[in-house]
Amino acid sequence: MKQIRLALAIAVLGMIPMGASAIDLDESGSFSMTGFYSLTGAKVLSGSAMGSSDAWTYQQFKCPCAIQNWEYVGVYEQDKGFQFDQESLVGVQFRKEFTPSLSLVAQLVARAKNPNYNSSPTVDWAYASYSPVDAPEWTVQAGRQRIPLYYYSDYLYIGYSYPWVRPAPDVYGWPIYAYDGANVSYQTQLGKSNWSASTKIWAGGFTQNNDAYDTLIYYTTPTSHSWSNIVGASLSLTNGPFDVRAMVMTYKDSYWQDGADGTKNYLIQDQPTRIMGLSANLDYKNWVIRTEVDRFEQTSLNFIYNYALLGVGYSIGDFTPMITRSQYTTAAEPIEARQTTMLSLRWNFRKDTALKLQYDISTDRSHYSYPFFGDSKLLSISLQGTF
Amino acid sequence: MKRIFRALLGLSLFWLVGGTSVAEVAVIGNAKATVGTLTAEQISQVFLGTSNDFKPVDQAEGAPIRTEFYKKVADKDAAQVKAIWSRLAFTGKGRPPKEYGSSADVKKAVSEDARSIGYIEKSAVDASVKVLLLVP
Repeated sequence: MKQIRLALAIAVLGMIPMGASAIDLDESGSFSMTGFYSLTGAKVLSGSAMGSSDAWTYQQFKCPCAIQNWEYVGVYEQDKGFQFDQESLVGVQFRKEFTPSLSLVAQLVARAKNPNYNSSPTVDWAYASYSPVDAPEWTVQAGRQRIPLYYYSDYLYIGYSYPWVRPAPDVYGWPIYAYDGANVSYQTQLGKSNWSASTKIWAGGFTQNNDAYDTLIYYTTPTSHSWSNIVGASLSLTNGPFDVRAMVMTYKDSYWQDGADGTKNYLIQDQPTRIMGLSANLDYKNWVIRTEVDRFEQTSLNFIYNYALLGVGYSIGDFTPMITRSQYTTAAEPIEARQTTMLSLRWNFRKDTALKLQYDISTDRSHYSYPFFGDSKLLSISLQGTF
Repeated sequence: MKRIFRALLGLSLFWLVGGTSVAEVAVIGNAKATVGTLTAEQISQVFLGTSNDFKPVDQAEGAPIRTEFYKKVADKDAAQVKAIWSRLAFTGKGRPPKEYGSSADVKKAVSEDARSIGYIEKSAVDASVKVLLLVP
C-alpha cells in the first residue's frame, strides 16, 4: 500500500510539465513549491559471512544482505530479489517569502520505508531564514534542519545533486541526522581573489524515540537516542574547480531503553562526543574527484570510528562513470569495519532527470564473534530528479 | 572503415563541444557599480551560489546564450548547474537566480539594481549597464 502511494506520487510528479523549475502557488511568486525524488531499486547478487556463503540471519535481516541506508535502515535481502521499497522517496519543499530578507521553508519527505515514523511522511526541514538585504553575506536560520556533518549529510536524499545512487553508506549513517536549533552563516569572496569562503556555526539538539538505527540494527529492543548540546562549525573554501571543507561538532550523546516502570535505563548518558570531517573535491574539465576523511570520538570510552572515501570519475557528455572506494572502522575491539568498492554510472538522460546504475562490492571486516551484515555484491538502479 | 571512424570522431567532437557558438557574451553590471571588472571565476561563483557579492540575473533555461555562458564562464553544462543549485536550494543555502525571458529584460533588471549582474549578447549592450567581462 505504501509502495503504491509512493508510486502514485512519483507518477503525479511525472505529469508536472517539464521546464517548471519552481511551481508558484500564488500570483506574486512569493509562495512556491519545488521537489525531488529518487526511485531506487537494488538486488543483492551474492554474499557471505565468516567465510561461508550459506544463508544466515542477522537480527531480523535474512542475509546475504546489504545495508544501504543506516538512518532509516534500508537493507536489501538476496531472498527478496529486486526491491524498490528500501530507499525510494519523494520530497516537496514549500517556501514562503514574507519580505526579500525573511522566508519560511518546509520540506516534507515521503519514504517507502520509514521505521522512525511508522512510514508517515516526515518534516525533514522546517525553518525561518533571515538574510539582510543590505548584508546578504549573513544568513540566520532557526527551526529544524539536517545536521551539516559530513560533505553529503545535509543533502543525502537529493540524489540529483551527486554522482552515485547514494553517498557511500560506509561513511553516512547515524541514528540522529537532524537538529532543532539555529545557525548563522557568512559567505564572502576573499578579497579580489578567485576564492570564496563560507563559514557556518550551528547549535541545537534532537531526540529520536525508538530510533530505527539502534533498535533494528543493534539492540532489537526499543531504544531511544538523543544528541544534546550540539555545537558545530564548518569552513568551506572554493575557487570553482576545487573545494575543501572542514567541520567539527561536539555534543552529548545519550541512548536508553525504557524500563517497565517508566524509568530510563541508560546505555550511555551525556557522553561528550566529537565528530570531525575534512573533504576535498575537484571538478576540473571532465574530471570528478571526491575525497573525504571523518572521525567520531568518544575518547573516554575509547569508542572511535574512522571513515574515508575516495572517488574518481570522468564525464563524457551526459555520462559520468565513476569508481569510488569507501571504508569505516572502529578503533577498539571488537572492531566493526567495512570496505566497499563502488562502480557507478550517472546518465543525465533528460532535463532535470538522471538515471544511475551502480555495482557495489562490499567486504565486512568486523571482528564480531557472530555473522554481521557480511560481504555482499549489490546491483542498484535509480531514477532521480528535481522539479 | 577509416572514413567511418573519422566521421564518428567528427560527430562526437561536435557533440562534445555542443555545436557552434552564439555571439560574444557580455557580462554586465549596474552602470553605477563600483567594481571595474570581474574574472570569469568570480562571476561563476556568483552564478553558482558560492559568492553573495552580487545578485545573479539569469537568462531562461534552454536559451542558447545561457548554455554558452555557463560553458565558457563556469565550464558547466545545464545538468551540472542544476545539480549544484538543487543541493543549495534543498539545504537552505540559497536560491537559483531569477530568470528573465530576453536580453532586454536582463538588461532592464541589471540597470535597476546596483547589486545585480547578468549576461547578454555584446551587441545588446548600451549605456544603461556596464560591461564587467567580455566572453569571446
